Amino acid sequence: MTLFIQQLFDGLALGGVYCLAAIGLTLIFGVLRIPNLAHGALYMLGAYVTYFFLVTVGVPYVAAIGLAAVVLALLGVLMERLVFHPLRNAPHTHHMIAAVGAMFFFQAVAQALWGADFRRMESPISGSVTILGAQISWQRIVIVGTAVVVLGLLTWFVKRSIHGQTIEAIEQDRTGSSLVGISPSRVSMLTFGLAAALATVAAGLVAPINLLSPTMGDALSLKVFAIIILGGLGSLPGAVVGGFALALAEVMTSTYVSAAAGEGIAFVVIVLVLAIRPTGLFARAVQR
Amino acid sequence: MAPTRAIRPATTVAAALCTGALLATSACGGGSGSDSDTIVIGYSGPLSGGAAAYGKNIQSGLQLAIGDLNDAGVTVDGQEYRVQLQSLDDQYAPDAAATNAQRLAEQDDAAVVFIPHAGGIQAAQELNSSRTEFLLGAYSSDPKIVEQGNELTMMIPPSFESYAKPFVDKLTEDGQTRLGLLGTASEYGQEWTKLVSDEWNSRGGQVLTDNSIDYATVSDFAGPVSRTLAENPDVIFLGGPSQPTAVIIEEARRQGYEGSFLIMDQAKFEEMEKFTDPENLNDSIGVKPVRDYDDPGTDDLIDSYAEEVTKERPVTSEVALNYQAAAIVVTAMQVAGTIDDPTAIREALPDALGQVDDRFHVSGFPTEITDAGHLRNADLEAAYRTPEGEYEYLSIDQPDE
Amino acid sequence: MTTTFSPQRIGTVLVALALLAAPLTLGGEEYVLRVLTVGATYAIAVYGMNLILGLTGQLSLAHGGFFGIGVYVVGLLTTDYHWAFWPSLAVAVVATAVGGYVAGVVALRTHEEYFAIFTMAMGFIIFLVISRWESVTHAHSGVSGVKFPEGFGAVDFSEPIVMYYLVLVFLLGAAYVTYAVRRSGIGRTLVAIRTSEDLARSIGVNVGLNKQLAFAASTTLAGLGGGLFAAVQGFVGPSAAGIDLTFEMLMFILVGGLGTVLGPVVGTFLVLFLFEFFQDFEAYRFLVLGPIIVVLVIFAPRGIVGYLNQFVGRVRSRRANGSRNPGRPHDDRKAESTTDVKEAL
Repeated sequence: MTLFIQQLFDGLALGGVYCLAAIGLTLIFGVLRIPNLAHGALYMLGAYVTYFFLVTVGVPYVAAIGLAAVVLALLGVLMERLVFHPLRNAPHTHHMIAAVGAMFFFQAVAQALWGADFRRMESPISGSVTILGAQISWQRIVIVGTAVVVLGLLTWFVKRSIHGQTIEAIEQDRTGSSLVGISPSRVSMLTFGLAAALATVAAGLVAPINLLSPTMGDALSLKVFAIIILGGLGSLPGAVVGGFALALAEVMTSTYVSAAAGEGIAFVVIVLVLAIRPTGLFARAVQR
Repeated sequence: MAPTRAIRPATTVAAALCTGALLATSACGGGSGSDSDTIVIGYSGPLSGGAAAYGKNIQSGLQLAIGDLNDAGVTVDGQEYRVQLQSLDDQYAPDAAATNAQRLAEQDDAAVVFIPHAGGIQAAQELNSSRTEFLLGAYSSDPKIVEQGNELTMMIPPSFESYAKPFVDKLTEDGQTRLGLLGTASEYGQEWTKLVSDEWNSRGGQVLTDNSIDYATVSDFAGPVSRTLAENPDVIFLGGPSQPTAVIIEEARRQGYEGSFLIMDQAKFEEMEKFTDPENLNDSIGVKPVRDYDDPGTDDLIDSYAEEVTKERPVTSEVALNYQAAAIVVTAMQVAGTIDDPTAIREALPDALGQVDDRFHVSGFPTEITDAGHLRNADLEAAYRTPEGEYEYLSIDQPDE
Repeated sequence: MTTTFSPQRIGTVLVALALLAAPLTLGGEEYVLRVLTVGATYAIAVYGMNLILGLTGQLSLAHGGFFGIGVYVVGLLTTDYHWAFWPSLAVAVVATAVGGYVAGVVALRTHEEYFAIFTMAMGFIIFLVISRWESVTHAHSGVSGVKFPEGFGAVDFSEPIVMYYLVLVFLLGAAYVTYAVRRSGIGRTLVAIRTSEDLARSIGVNVGLNKQLAFAASTTLAGLGGGLFAAVQGFVGPSAAGIDLTFEMLMFILVGGLGTVLGPVVGTFLVLFLFEFFQDFEAYRFLVLGPIIVVLVIFAPRGIVGYLNQFVGRVRSRRANGSRNPGRPHDDRKAESTTDVKEAL
């Protein structure tokens, strides 16, 4: 039973990380219909920039994540302008390969700047708490808490604020939105910036319980795709549910079946879900 | 402005000739180091991608040795040479390593090519036994690389099979019976897991669930650690790259584990100490740190590594063993009196071992080379970090090969 | 129309001649021959990707996985089970054909991005099975000592140059299949499906069956390429089934020209030699290669062959307009994406 509780909390923490990363990806997909394979690389850069502010510059942990999120948001905008804007009318195969090219580049940059070896980032949040016999570290509780708060803020932003509503408007009807004066170009930049910032927050939170390396985003990249497909491409609630569901499935499968099965479960779930419902769990009318 | 008729086919020809043109450029691109007074040592390893840190470590070991060899001067058969390292990136992929090895041997005239992963070594062995001849400097502790009878392979590190028995011996001294498995899910980790499990079973101990995970892709180690601990192991087998290994050990201690760790040879104490509170490592067995050897060249290598490579990381056996190996092959060239005959260089290796300058004796310099090509040191030792945090060294009986 | 001496034909003949003559100009440089041979095995698989992606517009990311199945069927049968090469290759081809057809039944229920991600998951599962099912595939230890094809008479496939020509024969076969399919009724049916499934269905096309056949044909070519790859390498590991390989193949096809007959071969060799050429940058090569890939995709979205075709087509239609009436319309400028097959080689 203790093991189950322990795995449940570990699964929730992992789910928080997956959600934060997946939401950015699903936003980009909803607005731009781009499967951004470089998302994991943005997450990785987010971790390194947080590391830079925290360790090299020496600002406090939360400020470091905030500053890194701003830097990455700018980088996300830059990437949208340089890579994806010129490809806005190209088919998604081209986005994928351009994203792979960008990913190669980002990894090489991280290796050139910070070296190939692992780095460790200490967080000021230490210690753990015992819940029902399970040892839960505060860092993991912070991860879940932050994920919830950020998700709440994001929902408010998209539903209530003027800028956020433009995102939703574009998702729903690109042509109609342009007619009422919403600039798709500006919304694209906003979305990329937001997505990169969210990935950075996820990376900044998870880095202290893991390690930094130029390839840390690779494994995440594929899983996050699994999540947003599971939830339905472009769907915010779908990404949240998908993130937690997949993390729990992964943790529980590793616990009660085998570690190898845990590694593959995300993909087995995708295959099963899509075999039964070819447009994901939270399918929406897809705009063409 | 309309293009003339002559241009049109020509443009199409351009695409058609891309293949041909690139052949030519790539053929020119490679052959940089084949001047007559240069000895090229080839190296194909992961210089980018997930294993880049490992690949760079080995590269720096080879590079430091070559620097020191050049400082001392290299004369083969009466002619002075400069030694040069030519490195290519293979991202740990076997097929890329084989292609690189062939390129190094043919275009850079490297008689010796170093490869630091078992997959790449075996792929290159398919080549060097037939058409393209080169001596393979094989840095992998997997004994199967010399079991297939390749005549041009020099296996550099001790076989990991040497470690399993003494490691298990030491950690079962006090009647421990339950072994948890938490190794990395790489080629190497899997072999180790099997070996340790067999050894443990052979003494009637109980091997628990295999919780091997891919250290490179897992986002949070807490889950696998708590799964392993749930079965109350007395000893946990683990290990992969030093840094994640240290984080996993820390996580296990944080979750209240008080037993021992059996750490596979890929993880190094001296590196793990930098990544976690060294106290977490107490009651563990692993390979002996380089700094604790008192061979003639140990201190110099530690200094030059700090000066020329990095102060952030300590010298590990990856650096030290390849440092020694580069000196051995160059000495073998001197003994054989040839820089381009791999077979002669291989045959000169046994004699060369005794003639390598003392400065290249760093961490258990090999005292013999087996017929199969394995460099061995008769006084191999393992390191046990006691519950009090002191290191003890245990001598290891190596299996006959 | 200038069918006999069209620039496309000249291009095709030149590429074929360059490939045939390449080994003769190397003067013992077996390394380049190796890159060419390995490249040719990839190119066969890339033709498979070209069939499903170029003709039906569906992006299959399981391609590396099916390549891996070919690699491992030949690898394991010729070593652990002591089979000869040719029957092993036949099994690999049949296995990937059947596997592709069956997988297609489920996979093709999905569309576009969902299809891409679905097949990516399939590819990843294949990779996981190969890299973790130790008792059968030896997992990360790999398979060594894969046999060369058995020769006949004076033909000895352990000679690298002979092996090269063998792979080349299969490569030409793959290219011919693409060409033939494109010209045939099946090809037109597939293009019709790509344009509008509903429309195709309404005129009596069996959409599902046609797509499944195209998918099976594409995985078969992947399996064939993989089987030959195993023999060329002699030693294979799980990286030969990885998702990275899929993206590399996608890169080859986009650089060469999607949906074209020459694109896969030109793209594969061009990118492979670019990778080799930048080896001198060691760890930093992707600082250069990454942006090159992005720039190629942005500025030559039709790929090199696609770009040249467009150029030829435009000039020809201009000439045709200037004289009498054009034999066929060449309105490439209107075509909205690289998936345009009409005028491609």
